[in-house]
Amino acid sequence: MSTAVLHTEKLCKTFSSGGFQQHVIKNLDVEIREKDFTVIMGSSGSGKSTLLYALSGMDKPSLGKVFFGDKDISGLSNDELAVFRRKNCGFVFQSIYLLENMTVFDNVMTGALVVQKNSAELVKKVEQLLEKVGIKKECWKKYPNQLSGGECQRVGIVRAVINEPKILFADEPTGSLNSASSTDVLDIFTELHSKGQSIVMVTHDIKTALRGNRVLFLSDGKVVGEYEMPKYGTDDIKKRRDGLQDFLDRMGW
Amino acid sequence: MNKIVRLSWANIKKHKLETIALVILIAMCMLLISSSLEGINGVKTIFPNMMKNTESFENYLLLEERAYDKEYENILSSDERVEKTATSELLYSISTNYLDEKGKEQALYMGFITKDNEEKLEHSDIETTLSDAEIAELRHPIYMPFAAKESLNYKVGDNFEMVFGTKKYSFTIAGFYDTVILDSTGEGLKNIVSDEDYHVLESVLSKYVVLAYNDHHGKTGLKFLDEKLDEFENYSNLDVKSGIRGWVYESIKETVGSTDYLLKIMIAMAAIIIVSVIIMIRFRIAGDIRDQVVNIGVLEALGYTSKNITFSYVLEYLIIAAVGIIIGTGGCFLMTPLFFRICEIMSGHRMYGSIYIMPIILTAAGILLFIAIIAYIRANTVKKYPPVVAFRKGMGDHCFGKERLPLRDTKSSVHLRLAMKGFLKNFRQNIGLTVCITISAFAIVFSFIMFNFFSGGMNAIDVSAGMEMSDLRIELMNPTDAKEFAAELEQMPEVRKATPTSGLNTMINLTDCNELMFPMAFSDFKVTENIFTLDGRFPEHDNEIMITNMCSRSEKIYVGDSVTLEYLNVKRKYIVTGIVTCLTNGGINLYITEEGMKRLIPSYSPDTIELYLKDGIDAEEFRYELTQKYGRSISDISDDDNAEGTYEERIKAEAERQIADMMANYGVSHVEYAIQSGDKVISGNSSGFLIKSIMNIGDIMDTQLSGLATAIEIMTTLFMVLSAVVVMIILFMLMESSIRRQRKELGIMKGMGYTSKELMFQLAFRIMPAALFSVIFGTIIGVAAISLITGFIGNISINIPAVIVMDIVLLLFCFGCAYFGARKIKKISVYELMTE
Repeated sequence: MSTAVLHTEKLCKTFSSGGFQQHVIKNLDVEIREKDFTVIMGSSGSGKSTLLYALSGMDKPSLGKVFFGDKDISGLSNDELAVFRRKNCGFVFQSIYLLENMTVFDNVMTGALVVQKNSAELVKKVEQLLEKVGIKKECWKKYPNQLSGGECQRVGIVRAVINEPKILFADEPTGSLNSASSTDVLDIFTELHSKGQSIVMVTHDIKTALRGNRVLFLSDGKVVGEYEMPKYGTDDIKKRRDGLQDFLDRMGW
Repeated sequence: MNKIVRLSWANIKKHKLETIALVILIAMCMLLISSSLEGINGVKTIFPNMMKNTESFENYLLLEERAYDKEYENILSSDERVEKTATSELLYSISTNYLDEKGKEQALYMGFITKDNEEKLEHSDIETTLSDAEIAELRHPIYMPFAAKESLNYKVGDNFEMVFGTKKYSFTIAGFYDTVILDSTGEGLKNIVSDEDYHVLESVLSKYVVLAYNDHHGKTGLKFLDEKLDEFENYSNLDVKSGIRGWVYESIKETVGSTDYLLKIMIAMAAIIIVSVIIMIRFRIAGDIRDQVVNIGVLEALGYTSKNITFSYVLEYLIIAAVGIIIGTGGCFLMTPLFFRICEIMSGHRMYGSIYIMPIILTAAGILLFIAIIAYIRANTVKKYPPVVAFRKGMGDHCFGKERLPLRDTKSSVHLRLAMKGFLKNFRQNIGLTVCITISAFAIVFSFIMFNFFSGGMNAIDVSAGMEMSDLRIELMNPTDAKEFAAELEQMPEVRKATPTSGLNTMINLTDCNELMFPMAFSDFKVTENIFTLDGRFPEHDNEIMITNMCSRSEKIYVGDSVTLEYLNVKRKYIVTGIVTCLTNGGINLYITEEGMKRLIPSYSPDTIELYLKDGIDAEEFRYELTQKYGRSISDISDDDNAEGTYEERIKAEAERQIADMMANYGVSHVEYAIQSGDKVISGNSSGFLIKSIMNIGDIMDTQLSGLATAIEIMTTLFMVLSAVVVMIILFMLMESSIRRQRKELGIMKGMGYTSKELMFQLAFRIMPAALFSVIFGTIIGVAAISLITGFIGNISINIPAVIVMDIVLLLFCFGCAYFGARKIKKISVYELMTE
């Protein structure tokens, strides 16, 4: 059993609007283990993304605590959280969020240089990673709106992992991609996981969830079920899908 | 129409802060233009109101009693060009001092006149807080011109102490009044005193006859006056011109009206700020349309025509302008009295001007029209955005800019690199920003140099005075040999240098402009310390002179020109060898060698000594010491009461009385006496009667220039603050719109781990290249502008280190404003961005 890299204690997240309060996460205790590919699933409005952003320090909990290792990050200021994020976390978003006014290469470098000093090694590393995810050299000087959605997401993944984060968070990374591009992107996640990268991913797509080895099912702000699988590629895919489908059926998916 | 109003209102509500900033800028424009116009309007009223309220004569001649003949008035009145004449008398001296609030003696030319004599010339209302009964109880009441109140800060009931020689004369201020002559600290003050006090002063001050005449509002001018002076001299065979002071209608009008030059500078500065505001408004409208291009597409898709949208923008900015105009008008009503006050301080006269509506209406209409035109031109570009193009953020097709400053080449901080990328990306916007900051920097640097110069006290104007700024100016008794006495003074341990020169009692006519000038005569100008040439060189030969820059500009006389000087009908030609900056004596100084003076006035010999003291010597104490040793006068002697002294003291006192009388009235230059009294010899000499008066030059300059300096300090401070506020608002607006435009981008970067402070730094640092260029360029044109006006105001010395410090402060201010303006980045939540 791998050790917990993240865990929460009675995590609550409440949104207020016009005097109306909505409790999205309720007294949640959850643990994210090192080197796991944790998939968070649930129906719309179950609090998946809210949990992801609370775990990653993108947002502060309303109540309760989030521990990164032994360190409580729930009390950090916004700027302290930013420093925490750049040192420990990588993010891949459904909307990709590349910087439109920067080239592909600079998008990755912007993420890298906030942590690392510029060097020939860093530039080489960026080049290697871009090549590895299939972004050819002629695309490096292109702007995001000159690339396809799949290419953009691959650039987004390189930007997320360039600083070798302890955890990679992904929010519906294939949500805006076509089938072929989705597979390419998921293959990259699988490869990263196989090399020991801890990943937390939110999805409502079974095909995507199959890439993980642990599925947490959220309902009404609470984890109502947990399902473990072997690493992707080490078992029979049909059996794997059936097992997960069975779990989701039980959860009322 | 409803549709358009709704759209405009929605836009205003959406950009509250930027709207407020724009309202402030427009309000400032309105305030500055309308207040300046009101000020200039007000200045124009000073002279006619002054003439009306004082019922004054239009022209005045001040003649020494010795040069006066009763027939002069008949000569004047018999001329058909003259309407009305009057003769009066007053006591006048340029050697008088007064005690300031700290009890220190300050030089101030003064005239004293009785109420009856004053009423022969003018009929001013007295401004007082005292009742008639209270005034009647005053032992030595004095009514002083308004300048005493405005420039010297006296109040009714204050004690005013006049000092002449070693004697003090104490008065109580009973009120203030408006007067046409001797109405400022520069010209001197004409004070109304009781008959008794007038008689006391009569024994010590010189009596002058005042000849006043009206000539149909200045129909005759200086030439007429010159003609009449010739007629006076021909009639009486007296030297009339040498001791004369004259004021003609046009020169009085010009002097009083010249106050508006400060307001003109102010309008120029206001115009500068306005240009900056206008550029910002233009960019704001253009930026707004660019930012809202997608919304424009949506509105068009919903059926709004581009005309509807254009007019909604025009209406939006007209509403903003209207609010700014209303606020600015309110400010104008508050600010105009302040301008009037400055003009009162400067002119020494009451301003009876009231606020006129027409300049306000014209300014408001101008601003509204301008904003409507700019808004229409910019908003009309909406036409270029049919819905599909608008949805693509205005891009007709995909076009991609050249990659600038790729991050792979980053050498230092990534934040600096990203800031520079941002600067290059927004290059066009930065051009506008550069223009705005350059203009404001120019206004700030210009104002700062002026402020620094005028707040620097006497040291600052040493180079611009156009006369020697020695510690003491000693006017000698008539027969005293100035060169010998200067040599004697130089032997004193306290004295650094003593230079003989000419006094201010003789005036020479520069016939080319028919202007009486004060000659500054030195045997060798190389010994002077405060006379600097703007152009040319010092006069060296007896046919060479220098003139002031003011004279050169007004009369178009330049180096190399030949001019004619006239004194007592003797005319001589001289060559102008140099031009000198001159802030003193109204710019009517003339620089001539001793030999040059002798060529015109053969009997000329120096009668004044410029005395320079060694460091650490108190000028006031030394003045007292000199007065005691050499400066006894017949008035001192006549007041001395030694009736109760010893026999020997009474003998000495009588001997001194005789010596004083001989020296003052019979041209005796030296007396030695010895009186045998029993077996005792009582002896003495005339060495105690060498000095007529001693002036503390620093004090004279302080008194003459304090009003000007105060007004300039107020104005320049105002401009520095206004320009800084403009820079601040512009940067706030810029940051506000940048953050709004780049909200998503900034959110992504926050998500990547960039802290709010780092992003604020990046955003603020983006403007720094523009700010740096602007501050440098603004400083250069500010310094150039100072050099340009040097001819008018004086050799304004520029304190380079202070200007550099000012520039650094300005740069830090720009950065600080931008950084503070970017603080809204803190409010951008990554989470909200991701989930919106």
